Amino acid sequence: MTTTAQVREHLRGWAMPHVLCPGCAHGIVGRAFLSAVDDVGIDPDQMAVVAGIGCSSRLVGYLDFCTLHATHGRAPSFAAGIKLARPELTVAVFSGDGDGLAIGGNHLIHAARRNIDLTVVLFNNEIYGMTGGQAAPTTSVGAIASTAPRGSVESPFDACKLMIGAGATFVARAAASEPYTLARIFADALDHEGLSFVEVLSDCPTYFGRYNKLGSGPEMLAAITRSDNRIAIPLAGKRSIPTIDPPDLPPGVELGTLHREHRPVFTGRAGGAT
Amino acid sequence: MSARGVVLAGVGGQGVVLASAVLAEAALRSDFEVKQSEVHGMAQRGGAVVSHIRYGETVASPVVPLASADVLAAFEWAEALRWMPYLAPRGALVVDARRIVPPGACKDHRTWGVPYPAMDTATVAHRVADVLLIDASGIAASLGNPKTANSVVMGAVSRFLDIDDVAWEKAITRFVPPGTEELNIAAFHAGQEAGSVRPEAIPDLGLDPIQQRSYRIEVDHSWCKDCGICPTVCPEFCLAMDHAHRLVVVDEAACIGCRLCEALCPDFAIRISVGDPAVVSGGAP
Repeated sequence: MTTTAQVREHLRGWAMPHVLCPGCAHGIVGRAFLSAVDDVGIDPDQMAVVAGIGCSSRLVGYLDFCTLHATHGRAPSFAAGIKLARPELTVAVFSGDGDGLAIGGNHLIHAARRNIDLTVVLFNNEIYGMTGGQAAPTTSVGAIASTAPRGSVESPFDACKLMIGAGATFVARAAASEPYTLARIFADALDHEGLSFVEVLSDCPTYFGRYNKLGSGPEMLAAITRSDNRIAIPLAGKRSIPTIDPPDLPPGVELGTLHREHRPVFTGRAGGAT
Repeated sequence: MSARGVVLAGVGGQGVVLASAVLAEAALRSDFEVKQSEVHGMAQRGGAVVSHIRYGETVASPVVPLASADVLAAFEWAEALRWMPYLAPRGALVVDARRIVPPGACKDHRTWGVPYPAMDTATVAHRVADVLLIDASGIAASLGNPKTANSVVMGAVSRFLDIDDVAWEKAITRFVPPGTEELNIAAFHAGQEAGSVRPEAIPDLGLDPIQQRSYRIEVDHSWCKDCGICPTVCPEFCLAMDHAHRLVVVDEAACIGCRLCEALCPDFAIRISVGDPAVVSGGAP
């Protein structure tokens, strides 16, 4: 993990401090990503980061790379265009659970289907933070949101399973509370040729934490690590040991690199240099 | 004859288990019934290791009861004190006069200061018939291989046990690494001759002077949003929130440079840098 001084080299200092709320873990994720870019040794001028709309997408405005703030949900498509036109660039997408899985769900799965050489980071805080705390496709059953005042009744997406099914060739899930692991996974994802998808369990103290009485930043971050009362619990793909775990404890979520395969990338097939 | 009990204690890597195998074999060769039981603790270098050996006409339990060991042989001073309760009131204590500080004893991450007990035979002399503080490590080193310190200790132990030299030598030959048999037997005999030393004559092997690092914690308050994450992750309580829920650095001197606060700061607001190092002695006593 690189130092703050090194990480700040990749920030647009004049724009800081960023707009994200106190305790929002998105900054931790951004920091781990910058650290990974350094670890992999990517030239900042050859790094392009594309974002759609949402809190997570605001983050790219502070990154001193080639950045593009695109239309809502369409970041993977803009990124695909960049990769096709300039295959020598390393292209990443920052997206939120609303941007990537709701309005942009199609763009995301087709980027995976085509195995475009992108690194997609999906910040999952289980809620629409920027627009006022509406329920997201990742909101847990029973969780309170402004559009689900008595608790959400819809089943949430398991974004990783979705992306494995759609054909992503690197799929991982990591937690914002574990920045070193996170940076390692980002580095692997950036190294991978093909569509890398990293779902990051982040937090939203302002809405999700407040509505669901999960405390503020420190408590929510600790909850991610503790795995009890954590956000994203009812995602599918959980693991629990019935004979050991008490029955009332929510099962943990699978973390780590969940899927990895090699498949020809789209840019190569389309005659690009990669 | 009732069963005799020997407790061997040391630190992982010193050869405590090998020494106890030698003793058990020597006792077997002397037609005793032998039972041996060892506890490795954290079975790795640096962890406490203790081994119990009981031998006699008949032996029921492999565990030496409290206050009944005829001999307590410690390969290190603090381990001698640790296992003193096993020694019979009129038993014999054999100690290699060296100090190995267990990592867990470091009370201060920056100075590595430790509350290591003073090496003074007077603290135990009133409890035992014989105290033999020997420079086993020094003797072994002078013989050519410091690793044979355990054989030196066993030589000293043999003075208090009814096992003849032939049995000891055969046992040593059987268990020590091939090629070191003669050296270990020489070390064993040197241990039989070794006299007590005064602790102050022993060079301090364990604690080298170290560089004390200091760290600076810089918080960029114009970026910090006082979210309160860093005080909850700081293992040394350097950071805190004040009554107005604003971040304050309360104890920069306690910072150990783990940089967890840096990595978990969502606002890129904390910088940890290494300050000027200072040489301090290794603490205690």
